[in-house]
Amino acid sequence: MPRPRSSARFSSEAPSETSSSTSPERAADDDTDFFMAQANDSQSSVGVANFRDLHVLPERTVALPPIGRLPPELLIGVFSKLTTPSDMLKCMLVCRSWAANCVGILWHRPSCNNWDNLKSVASSVAKPDSLFFYADLIKRLNLSALMEDVSDGTVVPFTQCKRVERLTLTNCSKLTDKGVSDLLDGNRHLQALDVSDLRSLTDHTMYAVSRNCPRLQGLNITGCAHVTDDSLLVVSQNCRQIKRLKLNGISHVTDRSIMSFAENCPALLEIDLHECRLVTGPSITLLMTTLRNLRELRLAHCSEINDSAFLSLPRHLIFDSLRILDLTACENVKDDAVERIVGAAPRLRNLVLAKCRFITDRSVLAICKLGKNLHYVHLGHCSNITDSAVMHLIKSCNRIRYIDLACCNRLTDTSVQQLATLPKLRRIGLVKCQSITNKSIVALARPKSNYPVTSSLERVHLSYCTQLNEEGIFTLLNHCPRLTHLSLTGINAFLRPDLTAFCRDAPPEFTQQQRDVFCVFSGEGVSRLRNHLNHLSHMRQQESSEATMYDDDEELDEDEGQMTGLMHATAINDDDGYIDVPPPSQD
Amino acid sequence: MTSIILTSSDGVDLTVERTVAERSVLIKNMLEDLGDSGEAIPIPNVNEAVLKKVIEWCDHHKNDPPTVGDEDDNRRKTTDIDEWDQKFMQVDQEMLFEIILAANYLDIKALLDVGCKTVANMIKGKSPEEIRKTFNIQNDFTPEEEDQIRRENEWAEEYVFSFLPCPY
Repeated sequence: MPRPRSSARFSSEAPSETSSSTSPERAADDDTDFFMAQANDSQSSVGVANFRDLHVLPERTVALPPIGRLPPELLIGVFSKLTTPSDMLKCMLVCRSWAANCVGILWHRPSCNNWDNLKSVASSVAKPDSLFFYADLIKRLNLSALMEDVSDGTVVPFTQCKRVERLTLTNCSKLTDKGVSDLLDGNRHLQALDVSDLRSLTDHTMYAVSRNCPRLQGLNITGCAHVTDDSLLVVSQNCRQIKRLKLNGISHVTDRSIMSFAENCPALLEIDLHECRLVTGPSITLLMTTLRNLRELRLAHCSEINDSAFLSLPRHLIFDSLRILDLTACENVKDDAVERIVGAAPRLRNLVLAKCRFITDRSVLAICKLGKNLHYVHLGHCSNITDSAVMHLIKSCNRIRYIDLACCNRLTDTSVQQLATLPKLRRIGLVKCQSITNKSIVALARPKSNYPVTSSLERVHLSYCTQLNEEGIFTLLNHCPRLTHLSLTGINAFLRPDLTAFCRDAPPEFTQQQRDVFCVFSGEGVSRLRNHLNHLSHMRQQESSEATMYDDDEELDEDEGQMTGLMHATAINDDDGYIDVPPPSQD
Repeated sequence: MTSIILTSSDGVDLTVERTVAERSVLIKNMLEDLGDSGEAIPIPNVNEAVLKKVIEWCDHHKNDPPTVGDEDDNRRKTTDIDEWDQKFMQVDQEMLFEIILAANYLDIKALLDVGCKTVANMIKGKSPEEIRKTFNIQNDFTPEEEDQIRRENEWAEEYVFSFLPCPY
C-alpha cells in the first residue's frame, strides 16, 4: 500500500534544484537513480497529481489563474525569494501544489535555535505518518544554539536525515561518539561537519566520517583533543575533497596525518593547525609545495616549526594563492624565514607574526615588499622592532587596515604618528607601548594626511600605555565617530570611578588584582564615555568662564558701558574707518 | 550599431538593437550559431505585447555590469528591487507571469529574478487566505490536511512576541 507521505516524493525532487547551489556535484550522486525513480513514482503522489491537474489536463487550463501557468521550477524560484519560515509556511497552506513545491524550501534548513523549535522539528521528522517525508528534505542542520542541552538522545530523530549537507554541532558538548556517528551513518551527502568543542569525541567519530562522507569539504574538529593521527590518516585517504580543515588543539596530531592530507587532498584551501604542537617543519613544507591553491595556513603555537620549514621550499615556487599566514608564537621562525615567505608569497594579505620574538627590523623591511596587498599585520611582542622599520612599513603598505604592535616597547610617538596616516586603518593595537604619549593619540585622532576627513578607526587598544591621560583620549573620542572599542586597562589616569562606570565587566576568570586595573570600553560604553568627557569639559569651560565673570563682574559693567559709548562714537564717526572694535551686539 | 529582427509568436516583427537582445542568453546563443544572416529570429513562445515589454527591460538594463557568482548569491537573500524595476513590474498578473515565463524561456536571469522577487513581495506578510485571494487560487485541502500541515510545521510559525522589544 502506498504511504500517505508519498507526496514528498514530488516535492523532494523539485527543491533539489534550488539546493543545487550548495550541492553542485549532485549529478554525481551515487544514488541518483534510486532518487529519481522514486520521484517519478507518481502513482499516489499528491504533489504530482496536482501538477497534472493544473498543467496537463486541457479542460482545466481555462480556469487557471495566471499564476497557475508557472511550472514548478518557477514557483520554487518565487518561494526561494521568501526570507522567513512563517511566509513559507503560509505558502504551504495555500493549496496542495504550493505545499508540495514549498516544503523543500522550508525544510532545507529548519530553525532549531530554541528548544521548542527543536522539539517540533524532531517530532515531525520522527512521525511515521507525516504528510511529507521531512527527514529527506533537511539539507542543513544546526543545533549549536542549544549547546549543552543537546544530548545523544536529542539527536535520535535526526539519524533518519540522510541527506544533510551541512551539520553544525558546535558547542553541543554533551554529544558523544554515539550520537555523532549515528547522525553520520548512512549519509553520503555531508559536505561540512563542525563538531568543535565536542570534547569527548574520539577516533570512533572520525572513522565514521571516513566511512560515510566521501564528499566532505569542510571539517572542524577544534578541541576534540582525543582524536589521533590514526583516524585522521584514514579521513585524509577517504575524504579527498576536503577544502577546509580545522584541527585546532588536536594535540596528538603529528606530521604523519598532516603529510597524508597534503598528499591526498589536493582541494585543500584552508588549514588551521592551531596548537598542534607536534607538527614540525617538513609537513609544512610539504603542505605548501603540494597544495598550490592553499589560501590560508594557520600555525599558531606550532612551536616546533622553525626557519627550515620555509627555507626548504623549492626556490622556483611562488605561492600566489596564499593570503593568510598565522605563525603566532612560532618563536623559532626568524628573519631568514620571514624574508623567504614574503618573497615566495607576494600576495599575502594577513600576516601574523605575534610572539615570533626573535624577528627584527629585517623581517619588517621584508614585509614592506607586500606593498598594497598587506591588509592585516600582527607584530605583537616582536620587541626588537624599531621606529625606523615601522616607518618604512607604513610608507610601503598603505592599505593596512589592522595593525598590532603590542609590547613593541622600542616604538615611540614617531611610529604612531606615521601609523596615523594610514587611510584605511580600522584597528590598532599598542598595548604596553610604554613610550607613547598623548602626542600619538592626538595624531591618530587627527591624521595629517590628505585622505579621510574623519578617522576610520573602530578598535583601539592602548592598555598599559601609562603616559596617556584624559586629554588625548578626549580628542580621540571626538574625532573617531566609528570607535566601538577602546581599551585603557592599567593606565592610572583612567582608573577613576566616574570613568570606569562606563567600562564593561572584567572577564569572570580575572583575579582581583586584574579587576582593579581593568578598563575596557565597548559599544555603548564608548559613546557614554565620550558623552561624559564632553560633559566634564563643558562644565570646566563654564566654570572657568563663570569664574572670570564673577571676578571681573564690577569692571565688566563699566567696560561694557565704555564699549557701548565707543561704538556709538564709531557709528557717528563712520568714515574714520575704525575697525578694531568687535561687532555690536544686536539688542 | 547593428539591429536584429525578432518575430513574436503572433507573427509581429520587432527590430531590436543587437546588444539589447543579447541580454537574452537564448538569443545570444542563437546569433552566435546563426552568424550574421540578417534573418528574423522567431520567438515562438512570446507574443508581441510581452516581447515588447521584455525588450523595454533589456534596453533599460543594457549597460548593467555582468553579474558574478557571489553577487548572485547575495541577491538571492533579499527581495529588494530597484525603483525602475518596481515600476516596470506594476502590471496586471496576466502580464507579470507572462514576463516571468518569457524571462525563463529567453534565459534572462536578472529579469527572472526581478519577476520572482515581485511575486514574493506580493506574498510576504499575507495569510494563506489573503494569498489565495491575491492570486485567485482554490483551496484544495481538506480541513484535516490543513491542520496536519500546521501541526507538522509548528516551528515555522511566527513567534511575534520574541521580536517585540522588552517593555522593561
